[in-house]
Amino acid sequence: MEGVAKTQTNGKIERLSPERLAELTHPPAYKTVEERRAALKRATEGFRVKVRVTPDMYGRR
Amino acid sequence: MTPPDGRRLVGRSPVGRGVFAIEDQELPLPDPIALDTSFVVEALIATQPLHGVCDPFLTRIFNSGISIVTSELLRVELAEAAFAIALKERWGGKWRGHRTDGRSRPRAGRLLNHTLIRYDEMLRSMTHISIPLGDTASIAPTFMTDYGIASYDAAHAATALAAGTETIVTTDTGFALLPASLLTVYTDSSRVASCRKKRPR
Repeated sequence: MEGVAKTQTNGKIERLSPERLAELTHPPAYKTVEERRAALKRATEGFRVKVRVTPDMYGRR
Repeated sequence: MTPPDGRRLVGRSPVGRGVFAIEDQELPLPDPIALDTSFVVEALIATQPLHGVCDPFLTRIFNSGISIVTSELLRVELAEAAFAIALKERWGGKWRGHRTDGRSRPRAGRLLNHTLIRYDEMLRSMTHISIPLGDTASIAPTFMTDYGIASYDAAHAATALAAGTETIVTTDTGFALLPASLLTVYTDSSRVASCRKKRPR
């Protein structure tokens, strides 16, 4: 695949090309800062569950 | 402050084996910055023990106007976590043995929807760079074989570097297995010492 990140022979990481990064970049979906702030608030407030989420619950050790 | 590689930083320069506490209000924020699943879980779920640390740091990222980088793997891990929450709520410590029990699936489906809706709202609030696993497939195994880092951590670390950031926000100390010259770790203060201890010398 053209543009994918690679490890170079000198061990350094070759970043994605600017063109590929531009393809993968998404601007905020909301126009105003207030709308964006409200979206972030909806994302992070009030989600309560009855158990503690531990790393093994999403496949980590 | 602009380092030689052109990344934009806000605040003071990092020191200390490339591991820093996100509670530090002066911590520089590179643009972009990568987020690991462990951080996002704590930020999105209000009942998590580090919500009070991760939520404010996510807000600080938002306020600074920088872009966030995530692997597409993160979405899958969140879905897995939501499913496991439903199982654990019903079966407690024996949840792993009840994965195929259909009685937990309605709750799992609702939790999965809640989780992904919130994740999408978070992404929609900021400029977001979403890196497919395929774009980092050749780097992640190299990290595993060179440094002993776990596969999922390797995928997230590769995502950060492929996107041009050398900083990941995480509560998973496993990222510290990578050398400080490769990846800077932003984590909560209770994990700073253990991360620094894990750094290869």
